[in-house]
Amino acid sequence: MSAYAHPEALVSTDWLAEHLNDPDLRIVESNEDVLLYSTGHIPGAVHIDWREDLQDQTVRDYISPEAFAALMAKNGITPETTVVFYGDKSNWWACYALWAFRLFGHDRVKILNGGRDKWVTEQRPLTREVPVFPPAAYPVPARRRDEEIRAFFDETLAHSQAHKPLIDVRSPGEFVGEVTHMPEYPQEGVLRGGHVPGAKSVPWKKAVNDDATFKGADELRAIYEAEAGLKPGDDVVAYCRIGERSSHTWFVLTYLLGYEKVRNYDGSWTEWGNRVRAPIERGA
Amino acid sequence: MYPAKLQQIVDLFSALPDPEKRETLITYADSAKKQGPREGETFELEDVRKDEECTDTVGVFLKVNPDRTTHFRVTLGPQVQTLTKAMTSILCKGFEGCTIEEVLDVPADFVPKIVGADLVRQRSQTVYYILTRMKGVATVWRNRDRAAQSA
Repeated sequence: MSAYAHPEALVSTDWLAEHLNDPDLRIVESNEDVLLYSTGHIPGAVHIDWREDLQDQTVRDYISPEAFAALMAKNGITPETTVVFYGDKSNWWACYALWAFRLFGHDRVKILNGGRDKWVTEQRPLTREVPVFPPAAYPVPARRRDEEIRAFFDETLAHSQAHKPLIDVRSPGEFVGEVTHMPEYPQEGVLRGGHVPGAKSVPWKKAVNDDATFKGADELRAIYEAEAGLKPGDDVVAYCRIGERSSHTWFVLTYLLGYEKVRNYDGSWTEWGNRVRAPIERGA
Repeated sequence: MYPAKLQQIVDLFSALPDPEKRETLITYADSAKKQGPREGETFELEDVRKDEECTDTVGVFLKVNPDRTTHFRVTLGPQVQTLTKAMTSILCKGFEGCTIEEVLDVPADFVPKIVGADLVRQRSQTVYYILTRMKGVATVWRNRDRAAQSA
């Protein structure tokens, strides 16, 4: 059985339970359910909201380096702090937040394997007490590293035209174009269904077990390499609908399988499916 | 204007700053489990199903009194989101004593007044789901009642 490429990027619930009070560690909860943190969270965890905290409130983009530094300072995070992310939905938003931290060069990041569901299922402690940390000194990052781990429309189009690997992590129905939203979610205004030409369908969920933990390295290699045809060294773009499910796959490919050139197209299908004259393929 | 009890809840939320709105929503969400049917209760209509608009099974139970006032009960699966849980408690309490017609006439514009502007966003649209389901059951009851009266 092979190991993950970067096993240090995952922590177990046992490990986290023993490190709740580590001064150099900050636990961050990021959820889809906007009120879930307030109903109870891991002791010491702060809440970072994918939309309110990480996204610009006017332009569809991420916050500025100045705003990121302020967010870190508010949550008592320094550049030396190791941040452990967890959340609902098998860590979708935790991976999204981790990816956003990486955009600003914060590389000391980990994911709680199994996320919130596993912690709760194991009946570990939750609290409604919101921690307050002394403001930390966090220098404004010199730049946002969009070019390293983020793909924009034009880059994704060029990737498609060059027949480079594209992974569509949405549900099969979204991929073939039968629906423009994921099951159990309302229609959210995409005008066309289908996928980026040349994309392979690998729904994000294939990477996780029933308890929301990640599958083992061998299973992941079978899914992404034997089935989807990726090879180590590939230049890969992953996308979904708004970039959260593809953050999950980005984490799997980058940290668990060790791919060094993976970008998340966060504009994803809500941009591509609405874009005038964007090429689209339908069907399996 | 909304039905009296719903109006009271809307007024309460309207007076609250956003952080307290959230706290109050959590309190309502906490009481969602109490909105399910109780032992011995009977209903004219029961609609229990899992469909695409919600992350888990939702059951809506309706009792209509001879004066056409309604009594709703709602059951929620464990994966339902916190806002949906809160709206379940709010609607069960807010609709208490309403007639079928009053339930059907309630406009959905009270939802942002309760939830708050910053919580109304793409994936919070499911806060409307419970209202839609309750109105759906009320519509079925009214249509059956009309059919029975015209028979």
